[in-house]
Amino acid sequence: MLNKWKRVIALEGTKDIRRHKRLQTMLIILLVIGLTVWSAIGTDFSVYEVFSGVGLISNFLFLDLLPPDVTTSGSLLGAILETLYMGFVGMVVGALIALILSFLAAGTTTPHPIIQVVVRAFTSIIRNIPGLIWALILVASYGIGVTVGTLSLILGSVGFLTRVFADTLEEIDTGKIEALNATGSSYLQVLAQGVFPQFIPGFVAWSLYNLELNIRASTIIGMVGGGGIGFAIQKGIKLFQYKEVSMAIILVLVLILSTEFLTSKIRERII
Amino acid sequence: MSELENPNENIYSLTKDEEEILKPKKDFFIKGVLIFGGLFFLFSLYELNIDYANLLEGTGAFFAMLIDMFPPNISEWAYVLPAAIESLQVAILGTVIAVVISLVLAFLAAENLAPSLWVSRIVKGFATLMRVIPTIIWALIFIVAVGLGPLPGVLAIAVHSLGMLIKVFAQSVEEMDEGKIEALKASGAGWIQIIAQAVIPTVLTALMSWTILRLEIDIGESTILGLVGAGGIGWELMRAMRSYDFNSALFITMVIFIMIFSVEMLSNRLKLKV
Repeated sequence: MLNKWKRVIALEGTKDIRRHKRLQTMLIILLVIGLTVWSAIGTDFSVYEVFSGVGLISNFLFLDLLPPDVTTSGSLLGAILETLYMGFVGMVVGALIALILSFLAAGTTTPHPIIQVVVRAFTSIIRNIPGLIWALILVASYGIGVTVGTLSLILGSVGFLTRVFADTLEEIDTGKIEALNATGSSYLQVLAQGVFPQFIPGFVAWSLYNLELNIRASTIIGMVGGGGIGFAIQKGIKLFQYKEVSMAIILVLVLILSTEFLTSKIRERII
Repeated sequence: MSELENPNENIYSLTKDEEEILKPKKDFFIKGVLIFGGLFFLFSLYELNIDYANLLEGTGAFFAMLIDMFPPNISEWAYVLPAAIESLQVAILGTVIAVVISLVLAFLAAENLAPSLWVSRIVKGFATLMRVIPTIIWALIFIVAVGLGPLPGVLAIAVHSLGMLIKVFAQSVEEMDEGKIEALKASGAGWIQIIAQAVIPTVLTALMSWTILRLEIDIGESTILGLVGAGGIGWELMRAMRSYDFNSALFITMVIFIMIFSVEMLSNRLKLKV
C-alpha cells in the first residue's frame, strides 16, 4: 500500500516537472515573440516595405552592381593588398602585446591577483568597443590613412587575443609548473620551461583565427578613413561607381576565402 | 623479465623511432609558420609605409583627446538612449529573421537531409556569399536600394547572419547520429516528419547556443551600422565625432560598451544554462 502511494507521488512529481518544463518553454517562446514584435514596431519594420523593396534591390544588384568592372582591378589590387598587410601587422603586433598581457591575466601565471584584475578589465574595455568605433576615434587624432586602420586592428587583436590566450594558459597542465617550482626555478624559468611549450600550439592557432577576424575587420575599417579596400568601396558608393564597388567586393571575397582556407589548413596540421 | 637482464641499460630511454613519435614534425612545422610569419610581417610593415613621425604626433594628440573627453557629456541622453534601443531592436529583429529562414534552409544544406547533393551545394554556396560579405557592406547595398533608416540595418544583419547560421546549423545536423534518421525512414516517415521527430530534438541545444552567440555578435554589429546611416547609436557617435563633441562621443562610447559588455555577461550565463 505504502509503495503504491510512493509510486503515485513520484508519478505526480514527474508530471509536475513536465508541466513546469512545458510552462518554461512556453514562457521563453512568448518572450522571444514579444521581443520580436517590440523590435519590429520600434524599427518601423513592415513586410510590405521589404517586398516592395525586393524589386529595387534586385534592380540595383543586377543593373547597377553587376557585372563588375574588371578594368579597375589593377588599382583595387593595391587597396586589397593594403588591407591584407594591415590585417597581418595588426595580428602580429597584437599577438605580441597580448602574449605579455595574457601571462599577467591568467590565474596560473599572474604575478599578483590585482594585476590580473586590472589587465582583464583593461582588455575587456578594449574588446567590447567595436573596431570601427576605435577607428572613428583614432581618425580624429591620426588623420585618414593606414596608421588608423593598423592601430585599430592592433587594439582589436589585443582585446581578443589576451582573453583567449589567458584562457589557454589557465587550461594547461599545472603539474609541470608545480614540479618546476619545487625544484626552485625562477618565475621566468617556469614560464620558459613549463608554460611555453604547452602554450605554443594554442598561440599559433588563435593568432591565425585572429588573422581571419582582422581581415574581415580591415575590409570595413577603411570606411571611416582607415585605408585599404573599405576606403575604395566607400569612395565608389559615394561616386556612384557601383561596378567598381562590385569588383572590390569580389576581391574581398577572394581574400577572405583564401585566408580562411590557408589558416584552416595550417590549423589542421598544428592541432 | 627481459628488461632486467641488462641492469645497466636505462629502461626508460627511448629508441630513436619512439622519440620521433613523441616529437613529431609538428615542431618543425610550427617553426616554419613562425619564421614565415615574421618575414611576412616585416614585408607588410615595409609595404604599409607608416609615417612614424605622424604616429608619434598622433599618439600625443590621442592622449590629449582622451583627457579632453572627460567628463562624459550626458546631457543628450534623451537622443542617445532611444538610439541605443533602436540598435538593440535592429539586432534582435535581424537575428530572428535570420534564424527563422536558416531553419528551413539549413535542412536543405545539410548533406544527410538534402533532397539532392546539388541542392545542398547551391544553398551552401549562397550561404558562403552572404557570410563573407561584411554586414556593413550589406548595409551600404541596402541603403542604396531602400534608403536610410533602420530597415537596411535589419536586412543587412539578417542576410549576413543567415549566411553564418545556415553553415553552422547544417554542420550540426550533419554531425548527428544517422541511426535515428534511418529508423524513421524505415518506418515510412516523410521528410518533414524526420525533421520534426528526429533532427530538431537532437540539434536543438546546438541551435540555441549558436543563436545566442549570433545575437551577441549582431548586437555588436548593430551599434556600428549607424556609421554608414543604417540607424541606431552608431549614427549618434558619428555625428558627435564629426562635430568634435568629444564629451558626447565618450558618453555614447560608454553606452555602446555597456550594451556589448552586458550582453556578453548575459550570454555567458545563458550558455552555462543551455
